[in-house]
Amino acid sequence: MEHSKQTQFGSSDKKDAGTSSVVNGHCDGMVKRPAGGPSQPPAAESGSQRPVMESWREDRTRSVEDNEMSLPSLAAAYTTILRGLGEDPQRQGLLKTPWRAATAMQFFTKGYQEKIIDVLNDAIFDEDHDEMVIVKDIDMFSMCEHHLVPIFGRVHIGYLPNKRVLGLSKLARIVEIYSRRLQVQERLTKQIAVAITEALQPTGVGVVIEATHMCMVMRGVQKMNSKTVTSTMLGVFREDPKTRDEFLTLIRS
Amino acid sequence: MNGHCNVKVNDTVEEFHRNNSFSDLLIDSKKSVVHRKHETSRKKDEDQSRLPALEAAYTSILRELGEDTDRQGLLRTPLRAAKAMQFLTKGYHETIEDILNNAIFDEDHDEMVIVKNIDVFSLCEHHLVPFFGKVHIGYIPNKKVVGLSKLARIVEIFSRRLQVQERLTKQIAVGISEALQPKGVAVVIEASHMCMVMRGVQKMNSRTVTSTMLGVYLEDPKTREEFLTLSRSA
Repeated sequence: MEHSKQTQFGSSDKKDAGTSSVVNGHCDGMVKRPAGGPSQPPAAESGSQRPVMESWREDRTRSVEDNEMSLPSLAAAYTTILRGLGEDPQRQGLLKTPWRAATAMQFFTKGYQEKIIDVLNDAIFDEDHDEMVIVKDIDMFSMCEHHLVPIFGRVHIGYLPNKRVLGLSKLARIVEIYSRRLQVQERLTKQIAVAITEALQPTGVGVVIEATHMCMVMRGVQKMNSKTVTSTMLGVFREDPKTRDEFLTLIRS
Repeated sequence: MNGHCNVKVNDTVEEFHRNNSFSDLLIDSKKSVVHRKHETSRKKDEDQSRLPALEAAYTSILRELGEDTDRQGLLRTPLRAAKAMQFLTKGYHETIEDILNNAIFDEDHDEMVIVKNIDVFSLCEHHLVPFFGKVHIGYIPNKKVVGLSKLARIVEIFSRRLQVQERLTKQIAVGISEALQPKGVAVVIEASHMCMVMRGVQKMNSRTVTSTMLGVYLEDPKTREEFLTLSRSA
C-alpha cells in the first residue's frame, strides 16, 4: 500500500518517493518495527529500515510561503461552508470568520511545516545514564482526520537512554510536530515513539496517549466521558514486562 | 440570523441577498430576534442538497493544507466533515415551538426549579472551533412548569449553531422566558473555548463564565444568590 507525498502546494502531481513513507509520516503497515528482533536494540538495522528512517528525514510538505498563498482559497472554501450551513457570511460576527478559520486550521496543521531534525539537532547530549526518563502529562491537541474535529488529551513518554539523552522539552516538541496534523491516534502514538527511537537509539521507548475525541463527544455516539488510550512500546519496554510495569506505574501516580 | 440584533445590518443583508438571488437564505429580520416562528434558516431537506458543495469546499481545504486527498484515511473525509458540520449546526433547523408544545403543564408551584450540569457543545462563530462546558438553568414558575428535559432541548437548539457564548446564554434565557412567562429565569454557562486552548494564547485551564438573569433573578439579590449557591454545590 504505497502512498505518494504531495510536496508542491496545490499541485495535483504526485511524486512517488520510492519506498518512502507517506505524507504525515504515515508508516506503511508492512514496515518492520525497529525493535522487531527479540534481542536487538532498536534502530540498529540498516537497509530494511528505510521506510521507517524516512519519517526522521521526511521532507516538509508545507512552507510558510505556502501558507500565505493558500489563505485566499481556504477563506473562499470556508465562506462556501458558511453559506452551505445556512448562515449569512455578511453578518457582523461572521465577516472575517473565513480568514480566522483558515488561519486557525493552518495552525492546527502546522506540524506539516516542521521537521524533527530542526527541532532536535542541538539537544542530544552524551550522558552516562541508563535509568528510565519519563516526561508525562504533556498536553496534546490534534485534529481527527476523519471528521476534522479536535482531539485532545495527554501524552506520557518514557525512554531508557543508551548513553544519549534528549533535552526534555524536545520530547514535547516532537509531540507537537506530530500532533498538529490530521491524525489517527494510533498513528500519532507510533510516530512519536519511532521519532524518539531514530533520534536517540535508546534501549527502549514507551509512549502512552490518553485522549478525548470530539467526534465521539460532540456528535455520533455522543459519549461524554469516553477516553481512548493507545500505547507504543519499543525495545526493552516491549520485551521486558518489569520495565513496562515500572513505566506504567510511574505515569499513573 | 442566529438572533443577530442589529436591524440595520439585516436590512442591508436582505437587499444583498435579494440582489444576488440567494432568496432561499433570507430570514425576515423583523421577526423576533431570538427565534423565528415557523421559519428557520435551514430546512431539513435542504441539508442533503447542500452536501456536495460542502464536500467540495472541504476537499479544497484539505488540499490547501498540504494533505494528500487520495490517501486512505482522507478518502471520505470531506463527506464526513460536511455531515459532522451539518450536525454541529443542526440548531438552525429547530424552533422552540416544535419541542415545547406538549410539555408545559399547569402546576401550582412557585419555588425555584434548577436543572444544572447540562453539557453544552457549540461552535465558536469566529474560528469555527468547538467550545464546550456546562449550563445551569433556574427558573421560578408562574403557574406553568415545563418538562425538565425540555430545558436541555432548548439548550441544544441554541447551542448547535455558530455562536458567541454571551449570545447563547441570552438566547436560552429569553427562549425559556417567552415560552413559559415565569417569574424569573437564570442561565449560567461555564465553558472552555478550544480557540483559546488549542491556538492563540493557548491557556489550557481557562474557562469563560457568562450569565443572564431575567425577572425576579435580576431584581432580587437573594433569589439570585440562592440560585448561584444551589447550582454551584457539588
